[in-house]
Amino acid sequence: MNSRWWVLGAWLLVLALLGIAVVTHLRISTDLRAFMPPARTAQQRLLLNEIGQGPGSRLLMLSIRGAAVTRLAELSQQLATVMRADSRFTRVLNGENTLVSIAPSLLPYRYLLSPALDHQRLDASYLHAQLQQRLEDLGSPAAGLLKPLLPSDPTLQTLQLAERWKPVAAPRLQHGVWFAHGRALLLVETRAGGFDIAAQRRTMAAVRAHFAALPDVGKARLELAGTGPIAVAVDARTRHESDIIGLVDMLGFLALLLLAYRSFASIGLIALPILSAALAGLAALELGFSSVHGITLAFGFTLLGIAQEYPIRVLSQRRAGEDPLPSVRALWPTLRIAIASAAIAFLAFFASSVPGLQQLAVFTITGLLVAGLCTRYLLPPLLPRHFHDAVDTPGLASLARWLRGLPRPRWLPWLLLLAGGLTVGLAPGPFWQNNLAALTPAPQGLLQRDARLRAALGAPDVRYLLVLQAPTAQAVLSLSEHIAPLVRALEHQGAVRSVSLPSRYLPSVATQRARQARLPDRSQLQAALQQAERGLPFRAGLFQPFVQAVERARQLPPMTPAMFEKTPFGPLLSSILVQRGTVWYGLATLSGLRDTHAFEGLRQASHGAVRLLDLKAASESLVAAYRTRILQALLVATLLLGMVVAVGLRSLRGAVQVLTPMLLATFLVLAVLRGAGVALNLFHLVALMLAAGLGLHYALFFHRDPEDPRDRLRTLHATLMCVLTALLVFGMLAWSSLPVLRAIGVSVGLGVLFHFCLSLLLARPHTESTEQKP
Amino acid sequence: MVLLLLSLPASAAISPEALVRSLAQPVPARTAFIEVRFMNVLDRPLILRGELAWLGGSHLQRTVVSPYRERSEINSGQITVTRSGQAPRHFSLDRAPQLRDLLISFTALLAGRPTQLLQRFEARVWGNPTSWTLNLRPRDAKVARQIQALNIDGDGTALRCMRVDDTDGDTSFTLLGVLGHARLPKPLTPAALVRLCAAAP
Repeated sequence: MNSRWWVLGAWLLVLALLGIAVVTHLRISTDLRAFMPPARTAQQRLLLNEIGQGPGSRLLMLSIRGAAVTRLAELSQQLATVMRADSRFTRVLNGENTLVSIAPSLLPYRYLLSPALDHQRLDASYLHAQLQQRLEDLGSPAAGLLKPLLPSDPTLQTLQLAERWKPVAAPRLQHGVWFAHGRALLLVETRAGGFDIAAQRRTMAAVRAHFAALPDVGKARLELAGTGPIAVAVDARTRHESDIIGLVDMLGFLALLLLAYRSFASIGLIALPILSAALAGLAALELGFSSVHGITLAFGFTLLGIAQEYPIRVLSQRRAGEDPLPSVRALWPTLRIAIASAAIAFLAFFASSVPGLQQLAVFTITGLLVAGLCTRYLLPPLLPRHFHDAVDTPGLASLARWLRGLPRPRWLPWLLLLAGGLTVGLAPGPFWQNNLAALTPAPQGLLQRDARLRAALGAPDVRYLLVLQAPTAQAVLSLSEHIAPLVRALEHQGAVRSVSLPSRYLPSVATQRARQARLPDRSQLQAALQQAERGLPFRAGLFQPFVQAVERARQLPPMTPAMFEKTPFGPLLSSILVQRGTVWYGLATLSGLRDTHAFEGLRQASHGAVRLLDLKAASESLVAAYRTRILQALLVATLLLGMVVAVGLRSLRGAVQVLTPMLLATFLVLAVLRGAGVALNLFHLVALMLAAGLGLHYALFFHRDPEDPRDRLRTLHATLMCVLTALLVFGMLAWSSLPVLRAIGVSVGLGVLFHFCLSLLLARPHTESTEQKP
Repeated sequence: MVLLLLSLPASAAISPEALVRSLAQPVPARTAFIEVRFMNVLDRPLILRGELAWLGGSHLQRTVVSPYRERSEINSGQITVTRSGQAPRHFSLDRAPQLRDLLISFTALLAGRPTQLLQRFEARVWGNPTSWTLNLRPRDAKVARQIQALNIDGDGTALRCMRVDDTDGDTSFTLLGVLGHARLPKPLTPAALVRLCAAAP
């Protein structure tokens, strides 16, 4: 009696320690890339990087409403000011022209960065026309704004540069900031990637905190849109719904167990093997991998549902008046085959080179082994002496009689196979759903807000990128300059509203040198200026700072990407000029893309160095590749499973009897799903794997068919309990509004039913010969 | 002399509020103008002629017809300058608080609404109801760094002249209403224009 408490205490202590270790050390990544197959080529590496990291996905669109226009404009300016000082944001735009005031480091470079003088010499006639304009500017209401610029920049190169760098399709200015539909708009680029949900959640909280801390916010309201907010909202909704379903499941599960076993202590104890399995699995992941993806964990916990059966089997198989140990020993050979075959089958996943699948294998194998060993060695001594023998469950005996009496035609499997085959073959619609986003759809309101703000702000598309590829950064910039006229033609044709090429911000060194060479030297400029000023009332010597600025520009070392990065405008370029491996890429963002085919000409003209990248299609092809790996692993797993079962049962025929219902039931679930027009996704596959794992148990235990009819009844009770609990837990998921949870729920629910029925009908040995009519 | 000094406040007992209120113009209000700008960067003053229109609220329209054609729209905190043969250019007033306050004061005068004006400027009035001068000094430190003072001359309920003194020594005169077609003094100096503005018609 005493040792019983010792065992329980030690077990709980180990679990607590494991729990602490896991909580403090395990890094759960929400980055989608951790879940994808590893990149093999530079292009795949680029793609993996751009999914969720690309310049388009890192944009936050903010709108402020609910106050007078002047107040909204002030709030926009104040919010932009505090956010510009926050390193979590690489760029904050609200329409204010901040160039002149914030980029003194760039001003000397204005003659090298701006194309304004590419088709225009800085000669007397040009200068004269410019000075005439400046004179008129001095007579305009805006004179006060231009007066400070005049001596050093009479041709207003700085303003032209600012004009060139501002978003192309910017909204209307009111009180100096962007407005659309009565709301002040801001466009923010975050350092965090759009699909890095945890980082996005922190970044969004920071935006809200900055806004709330502004003086006199009053009734003004801040709204956020963009890839990040959508990802965060979807994540929150999924969590919320699975939490609620999880709670209902838990209560129903406990009620069912209580009804069946009538002992609180037993029910509390059977939670321990599962808990141990989960913690051990997590600890193994922590030892083996630097971080684990959330989806891998979700899959893993789903598959641990298999281990839920182990303790239930023990409770149902206990014989009245006997110590738990002998009945566990009697159970163990069959249970051992189940555990070993599942664990070995998952080795196939470990052999795949996909990190997500390897993690899944480590987690599941560790979990199943630990749950099995706990059930065998730790659980029995702890079980209470007094319990309710499952045999005495009212109605069980008559149910068993009825089930035994069911006809078992030999042609049944063939008929089912034929019907299933026809359904799968003839079902309309796509077989696979590759769009991961379709599994967790975003709230409609948020999508509409996103579309509205994206259109108003002219913000770039998240789906497409124009990729420029070259061996060096300078070559990318040259390529960008080279295709700029073609891109402008596409904009002109209306194929796209605007394309933001890297060379828009930084010209290549060659171009800068050419511009330097075109600038007049000091004496030439002095002479041109003297001639230009003739007849104009400008004070003598006023433009000396201009002469010096041009002279300085002639001698500056050309600006390189590394130098540009250090200026306040660095982030503009660093997200669209990137190095991956030994290759440099320019990632031009597009807004208002209407005709993707129009870009084919650009690809041909550049011999493939410039191409339109469809991130959605590319990520779907990655999902398809991932699925292929899973299917390959599944095939190997099935073969391994068959071998282990055959060895375990020491009978090839037995293995066929056990595996036939499992495979047939899995196929039937597939057929029903396809017949209902469901496009299958990765979660369906995982759910089918889980159902198959459970089905294997049903078949193995029905196949065991003990001599003692009372043991047969206990086996039936155990299997029924397993079926009911699985139906309860996963059936609930089938009612979820989220396709991802529904996929798991429906597949496992159907699977459990089919596996049970087919195991009952097909797995029992020598049905005709040994059947004794009662 | 003593008598005169004593009697001045009595005769000029016009409060800025009352004066501004009396100036309210019907919408739209239009007037010819001549603008003369004396600037450090220029050897001789700029002289512009045209029409100024107030279309209500803070909406102003300024059309220059000589020596070149240009139209400026000032509305919603933004100036749009359009010249023949060129794309319109936009400037935000929030980048130029001095300009913003200038325009606010001008439209407040035309609307006859003293509150906003007196919030931003310290106001004093000289003269008598038939010929007065309203002196405005910016309260905002940022604006005061650019603008020293505004002097508006008027007679009765009509504006005659507006002078803006910048802190850098630049001065601009806008002759309005009865002076909108005036002959400019020769030689054209700030002092001569001050005299022209001060002289009651």
